[in-house]
Amino acid sequence: MSADATLPPARGRGGFLASRTALAVVIAAYTAYTLGPFLWLATMSVRTTGEISADHYAWPRPFHWEQFRIAWVDSDFATYFWNSTIVVVAAVAAVTLVGAAAAHALARYRFRGNRIIYGILFSSIIFPPQITLISLYQILVDYGLYNSLLGLTLVYVSLQLPLTVYLLEGFFARIPQDLFDAAKMDGYGDIEIFRRIVLPIGMPAIATTLILNFIQLWNEFLFAVVLITDPDKRTLPIGIRAFMGDHFQDIGMIAAGVMISVVPVILAYVFFSEKLIRGMTAGAVK
Amino acid sequence: MAVVQLSRICKRYGSGGPVVVDNVDVTVGDGEFMVLLGPSGCGKSTTLRMIAGLETISSGTLSINGRTMNDVPAKDRDIAMVFQSYALYPHMTVAENLAFGLKRRRTPSAEVERRVREAAAMLGLIPYLDRKPQALSGGQRQRVALGRAMVREPMVFLFDEPLSNLDAALRVNTRNELIKQHHRLASTMIYVTHDQVEAMTMGTRICVMNGGRVAQVGKPLDVYWNPADTFVARFLGAPPMNLFTVPVSGGDRVRTAAIETALTRWSPAVLAPLAAGEVVLGVRAEDLHLSVEAAGAAAAGRIRGRVFAVEPLGAETLLAVETEGGTECTARLPRDTRARVGEVVDLFFRPDAAFLFDPRSTAAVPALSRPGGDPGRAGGVH
Repeated sequence: MSADATLPPARGRGGFLASRTALAVVIAAYTAYTLGPFLWLATMSVRTTGEISADHYAWPRPFHWEQFRIAWVDSDFATYFWNSTIVVVAAVAAVTLVGAAAAHALARYRFRGNRIIYGILFSSIIFPPQITLISLYQILVDYGLYNSLLGLTLVYVSLQLPLTVYLLEGFFARIPQDLFDAAKMDGYGDIEIFRRIVLPIGMPAIATTLILNFIQLWNEFLFAVVLITDPDKRTLPIGIRAFMGDHFQDIGMIAAGVMISVVPVILAYVFFSEKLIRGMTAGAVK
Repeated sequence: MAVVQLSRICKRYGSGGPVVVDNVDVTVGDGEFMVLLGPSGCGKSTTLRMIAGLETISSGTLSINGRTMNDVPAKDRDIAMVFQSYALYPHMTVAENLAFGLKRRRTPSAEVERRVREAAAMLGLIPYLDRKPQALSGGQRQRVALGRAMVREPMVFLFDEPLSNLDAALRVNTRNELIKQHHRLASTMIYVTHDQVEAMTMGTRICVMNGGRVAQVGKPLDVYWNPADTFVARFLGAPPMNLFTVPVSGGDRVRTAAIETALTRWSPAVLAPLAAGEVVLGVRAEDLHLSVEAAGAAAAGRIRGRVFAVEPLGAETLLAVETEGGTECTARLPRDTRARVGEVVDLFFRPDAAFLFDPRSTAAVPALSRPGGDPGRAGGVH
């Protein structure tokens, strides 16, 4: 077969190229639109606030790499980074495990109240999480968890769990029942089936919720600023806020802080996106 | 090696829900290939799933080798099942799929390796051991599903319409492969299908189901030639058996404008109570001929009707005829048959090829002899 045989007919080839070119232009424009602010932020992170004030869009000259050292060491970003890592990793891990197990139970087992639980979970997604702030504050105070990383972690788990269960339940419900039956016939019990069948097959959905939860919690500000008061327990978003005074904002340092905080998000996305999502369920059943 | 016994097995969904399996009483012998055959919704798959432990049994007893299995979880029954959808684990390679059940049973890794390679070699899967299911064709996937059951060396194999997703040619090959494997393994196998050809060619016995009940159990040819009722008579055979509701006249004959035959296979004592009323007369399509000579009997039965369809199939020709009473019947005739639509024809048959059924109960009227004229008609009903 010649190479041409795989191409569209000659008459349609011009149209095909035109549509591909148009698509490329749109994608390039969108990339510039989304990447532009990030690049601007990156240039500001290696410029001083004075330089930025003089010319907002100038190329860094010289590159003030020391701003990252100042942020990391002198402004305690290492502590904030560590606090954020502990809280977010623990919360995301708990949300993923509990959420996946709950979603599997709701998707697979028929039991009384199944849809009621699902309805309650779904209704909690509808309301803005901010309305729970005062009650959560009071609960944490009552249980001695206010101003603690554990308390913030638990709050984060409660905030992200409903959406996680909702997303995973939808995906797990589409896993063919025959796979569960086959695993039962192969001698596996419910927990083993969850671990060996549901989790690997559900990995695309789990990876999606993992990335979403990680990004959302890594950038979470409101609950952290209300529920944490000690400077040594601050998370990164609150730490960045420290560069903002009432009368002066250290734009250069804020940009450096944001650049530090954005690295794990990019790493999480790069790590979890393609490898885990590709073709996990194709061929499961006919 | 196992004997599977179903005693008055019932399945009901919900407390007041419909009964989908009703008092099923069947014993599957050691090494037997039992086919559960019936139309969609007849309860055959539910019965199979109850044997597997994937459905609870509402009432009745399931035992394997004398041990009651009703409350034994599926994973502990030592049964392997091949699913219609293949149900291969998509995140595992072919080798991992084959070994998955063995690993659970803590089989030594050398033994796992040996059994996987043995099954793969037998099923021609060696080149695909490292592939994931999505990289396989339908036939290859089905062979992996079969291999996954085989490596376990279970007491009982269950098959839930395993060939229905394959194309016609592949279905024949896989069917032969399954027959071969049954001869090799000599294991107890229970196979669910709605395809009568699969049932007839594969089963050592078949269990025809209808509306959740067992309609008849027996060797395939016995069931074919001695159907217990009109449902079995029509379900086995393509085209289905021709049935005519006709009066009995003269005590031992049927004589109407369209149909005429002597009832030679039934005793006067059996026919006497029927003489006042009607019976259902059955004749298989292959027993109908366009001449007395071809029918092979001087006193041939006769059906007269108008041809409304001629279907030349190459190897044979199907003739669809409508009798005067409006009943349609089909004859399977030689390929060189010449008949025109609209033509009135006489179709002849040997009187001893006729079947008789009670029109109220639909049950077969007990005959003195087996339907004659075919060597395959010998044999006993089980």
